[in-house]
Amino acid sequence: MRRLLGRLLATSLLIGAAPAPAQESGPGYKPQDKDERGLWMQVDEQERQIKTSSFVIRDPALNAYVNGVFCRTVGEAACKDARIYIVRVPYFNASMAPNGMIQVWSGLLLRVRNEAQLAAVLGHEYTHYQNRHALKLFRDIKQNTGAASFLMVGGIGGALVGLAILTQSFEYSRDNEREADAGGVALIAKAGYDPAAAPMIWEQVRQEQEATAAARNVKPRYQNGGLFATHPNNLERMRDMRAQATAITVPNAVTNEEAYRKALSPWWPQFFDDQIKLNDFGGGEFLLGQLASAGWTPALLFARGELYRARGQPEDLVKAAGFYRQAVDSEKAPPEAWRGLGLALLRQGKRDEGQSAIKTYLQKKPDATDKAMMAMLAGDPS
Amino acid sequence: MKTAILGMAAAAGLLIGGAPALAGQYKLIAAGTPVTVARSGLTVTPSENWNHLGPRLGRNAESWTLDGLTLNDVTFYGGIAGGETLFKARNAKDKPLPPFSATMLPPDIVQMFEESYRIANDTTIFTVDKVEPAKFLGASGVRFTYSFTSKDEVARKGVANAAVVGGKLYMITYEAPVIYYFDRTIDAYAKLVDSGVVAAVK
Repeated sequence: MRRLLGRLLATSLLIGAAPAPAQESGPGYKPQDKDERGLWMQVDEQERQIKTSSFVIRDPALNAYVNGVFCRTVGEAACKDARIYIVRVPYFNASMAPNGMIQVWSGLLLRVRNEAQLAAVLGHEYTHYQNRHALKLFRDIKQNTGAASFLMVGGIGGALVGLAILTQSFEYSRDNEREADAGGVALIAKAGYDPAAAPMIWEQVRQEQEATAAARNVKPRYQNGGLFATHPNNLERMRDMRAQATAITVPNAVTNEEAYRKALSPWWPQFFDDQIKLNDFGGGEFLLGQLASAGWTPALLFARGELYRARGQPEDLVKAAGFYRQAVDSEKAPPEAWRGLGLALLRQGKRDEGQSAIKTYLQKKPDATDKAMMAMLAGDPS
Repeated sequence: MKTAILGMAAAAGLLIGGAPALAGQYKLIAAGTPVTVARSGLTVTPSENWNHLGPRLGRNAESWTLDGLTLNDVTFYGGIAGGETLFKARNAKDKPLPPFSATMLPPDIVQMFEESYRIANDTTIFTVDKVEPAKFLGASGVRFTYSFTSKDEVARKGVANAAVVGGKLYMITYEAPVIYYFDRTIDAYAKLVDSGVVAAVK
């Protein structure tokens, strides 16, 4: 039941089988009938909870950037009706509810490589919103399970429960996804972005899922990213989007990769830390490789050391120490790179070297919260 | 993690309707009597009456509470062996938990704990606040404090004492809402920790 609610509230990614309502949603649009008013009531309540959620990232600069990309993609008039919430959830997802509430997960921002790709996802979601796909789904659910059960489910769990479930529970309808895919490509092309960015992001997500599965020795399930789930026609969708992108000529098309990196750079360390702590070695390694496409920075080398050390196999610890060493060659390395180096070495039985690295960590970060523990490991329990 | 399980149980009860509430799943742990916990060689002697939550969280993990798990939660991890997780993953296929390894250093254990909580609770709001060496069960171990918020949006604090004895991980944690409850029952936790004894498992 909660899965149904999750699907519904996360309007964006969802598809219903009913014929498309003729009218489009957009600036000033109001719900037309009892069903739609009920749906809006639910998402308004969800938004009320999101507004005060401790998971929402309120950094004005980041919010202004994402909002700017959305407005450029859908146009100034349309963007006035939308409210964007950047939510700290480490998976790949975004959604736009019928009332104009947009949720963008931090895991999406970590995965998207440039502004054009972000625009493509936002354009995809906006198309679901504009074509009122959520209402179709709502009617489907109501028809199948009855309004009473829908309302009961609505009373349980907060907005983020719906979100968490959303990542795992999709069944896509091809027609509405295709509509959103095509809408996203058209919108970003119109905004001057390179339309080829749209199929690329799906390709990346697919590759990451394969990397995750390979490291776990399982078959890829294509389920971790809600935007790109279990349909057998994913390859077909990508092919369609590529064809659409190729058919559109955008003079001086941009991807704005530099602008994207700059806007996101203050947040990479935290977003990546959230990713590393998911116990997903393959996915983490894949994402780091992507982020390092322009070169391995000390921060990325540190993150890679953390990823390998967390898995902690003997050969991982050797590699982790190597990455930390490369990181600390630079003055820009975070003090925690010395900590990681020390722990990786100690765990390999290299006591003297390990203790020396930990002492450097404590010198560089005298107020560390784990100071007492690390001092003991460094052989200096003072 | 405990909050997630409780939430699920409550939701299931509501949805199924008519199912008896959680009461039947609790067992009284009487004050003053040594009791073996988490199907292990770990024994504690409570200074007051506790409630033991019936369903175990994992092979060697169990939780006690005074007022309900969302308000105060003590969890015992009794002898987690190498290759095992702290508790049972709810979605082991897509969201597997990190396993313990006997070669872990104390900071590695802290990180494994943090990862397990983030994954099981579906939360990114988890910070380790302080990590220090501390004797536990007569062995040299680690004591750490942490803060986290789960989907119920309640800010909680926690404290854990852990040590590796005979290659297995023993740990007792306590967590409660930052507001009022954490301070109110932390002494009862400290007494439990002090009373802990580990014996060889049969």
